[in-house]
Amino acid sequence: MASTKHRTSSKQQNRRTFLKATGGALVAGAFGAVPLRGWAADPVNIGALYPTTGSMAQIGVGCVAAAKLAAEMVNEAGGIKSLGGAKINLIISDVQSDTTVTRTETDRLITSNKLSAIHGCFASALTLIASEVAERAKVPIITGSSSDQLNKGRTYTFTPFARASQFAQAQLRMSKLVGDKPKVAVIFENTAFGTSTSNGLKGQAPAEGVEIVMFEPYSAGFTDASPLINKVKASGANALFSVSYLNDLILIVRAVKQVGLNIAINGGSGGFVIPDFYKNVGKLAEGLQGVAHWNHDMSDDAQKVNVEYKKRTGEFLFEYAGGLVAQTFMLADALERAASTDPQKVRDALSALDVSKGYAAMAPGGKVKFGPDGKNVYGHPVGVQWQNGDLASVFPKEDARAPLIKT
Amino acid sequence: MFETVAQAVINGLLIGGIYALVSIGVTLIFGVVKIVNFAQGEFVMIGMYISFFLATQFGIDPILSLFVSMPALFFVGVVVQHFLIRRVLGLNDLPQIFLTFALSLLILNLALMLLTANYRTVHTWYSDEAFHLGGLYIPVAKLVAFVLAMVLSGTLWVFLHTTDLGKAMRAASQNRDVAQLMGINPNRVFAVALGVALALAGAAGSLLMPFYPAYPLVGQVFVLMAFVAVVLGTLGNVIGALIASLLMGIAESLGIQFIGADSGLIVVFLLLLTTLAVRPSGLAGGWRR
Repeated sequence: MASTKHRTSSKQQNRRTFLKATGGALVAGAFGAVPLRGWAADPVNIGALYPTTGSMAQIGVGCVAAAKLAAEMVNEAGGIKSLGGAKINLIISDVQSDTTVTRTETDRLITSNKLSAIHGCFASALTLIASEVAERAKVPIITGSSSDQLNKGRTYTFTPFARASQFAQAQLRMSKLVGDKPKVAVIFENTAFGTSTSNGLKGQAPAEGVEIVMFEPYSAGFTDASPLINKVKASGANALFSVSYLNDLILIVRAVKQVGLNIAINGGSGGFVIPDFYKNVGKLAEGLQGVAHWNHDMSDDAQKVNVEYKKRTGEFLFEYAGGLVAQTFMLADALERAASTDPQKVRDALSALDVSKGYAAMAPGGKVKFGPDGKNVYGHPVGVQWQNGDLASVFPKEDARAPLIKT
Repeated sequence: MFETVAQAVINGLLIGGIYALVSIGVTLIFGVVKIVNFAQGEFVMIGMYISFFLATQFGIDPILSLFVSMPALFFVGVVVQHFLIRRVLGLNDLPQIFLTFALSLLILNLALMLLTANYRTVHTWYSDEAFHLGGLYIPVAKLVAFVLAMVLSGTLWVFLHTTDLGKAMRAASQNRDVAQLMGINPNRVFAVALGVALALAGAAGSLLMPFYPAYPLVGQVFVLMAFVAVVLGTLGNVIGALIASLLMGIAESLGIQFIGADSGLIVVFLLLLTTLAVRPSGLAGGWRR
């Protein structure tokens, strides 16, 4: 339903832009003297695929707000100068948190619009599908999704931020900030996401010198976290890694408090590093740690965008949305150098991207350059901690903006 | 070791109290109206959202909002009985099953559309607090929920055994035709049964709100346990459902503690299958209702 809504609104937009363009032409014809370049620069069509309905809608809606903000920023700064100041025309499509819809929507978006590039879809499961379709249509796609799968056998897919495999390593290293001999309890929901993430932690723990004293799957969507936390208590762990979605995590954090267990909790990424988490958990979230591929306090530029985003939505600029603003500027940088809206040329320009300043370089470490697999060669995650209702970057040293508070 | 077991039993007992409120509603409807209400979980969800909105809009404590959620859902129950269930009672089982199943899906999807899939929590001063006794702890919110659940169950039992209306409900559940011959108006009795059952679901929702997040799918989590408890405690038997719910809570908690954190449901369903194999009519089979 919502997709039809979007469809009609994009149609209306098209009609509006069409009227504007033809109206402009008529006016230009009538007065004869209006310089062509003033209005003639065709906009650059960028596809934005996000789930704005369904189970992932919450984050998807935030992504769309960030995508619009980023496009406005590029346009207000004069658009793509090498294309005569062409404006970015964002074409938003709702992929409805569904893999089948993602496939058809990506296809529809590419065939019914002349796209120069795509960004999306935040959830790896959806991005994997969208990237397959984009690869086949030879349209470049840039994404903050973390699945390592996105870097395998793809030539049009670009991932400027940390990969899933890097998150586990960062999380293990963070546990050493808490104590010299971390004893970690890993609890994870017994789903594909929980199992793969926790296995990554388990596999890398020996190399990082971290002892795992408890490794326990649980049924996602439980009614009560107390028995599980009872077990964590018995394991004698001093750090807890919880690979969970928001609902379970809320119960886990509360149960830890009720037991009176003094343990450093690291909730990883995803649902843990969005404003909603703090809204739901409240003061109990203070001191909890996580990992993210982007954080709003990383640089002055990031903070500037954060202020504007906050003004519009009332929330701080969360991981994925912030990364998305950077991605839009990476696309703008590529378009500038390509001096063309042709997707193939944009792809080539993207693969030669090498930035270390400006909005396009808003990434942990402050540098972006793509390797042959589409990975940012400087990409790494940033360790974060909830401090005074905000997410502060605390790890690694070069990205830290606040000291880690030991709970 | 003793401490760990004791803590596991406490945890199980406390959550079992909530299972009891949901399962007693299901078993009451089944006992009296002879219909399986698949939508019971969705009414728990509605109860949660009522408490959530009262808490966030008017600052009313979720426990106090029982006085709103219970009457509201009682009314919904009467309406559902009068306009929907009454129409299909004379028919065979299938339309009855589909009716409540459709109702469940309808409410669920309406909630997803109107309220979105977001998690909503209410934070009260006692949400994160616990009483500590030696090495054991008892979360305040869950203790309050458990005590009130037991009070409500007890009240229902007294109602069923001492009031004329309650006796009429039991009579209708034992033999509808004979009850009708004795001058009992089944439609009135059924409407009250639906109302009471849904009011209990609403109560479960309000009692959950201080310690469990509300979201459209939340009912599904609890209704599964409720159905097992209903069968385990003998269909239609209120006390059976209560005891079965508490047992299930304890079995689940012990399972998580000593077998594995993903074994909770395995233990519960093993308990169900074993009981059915040994006592096919459930734990309370043959007992007086």
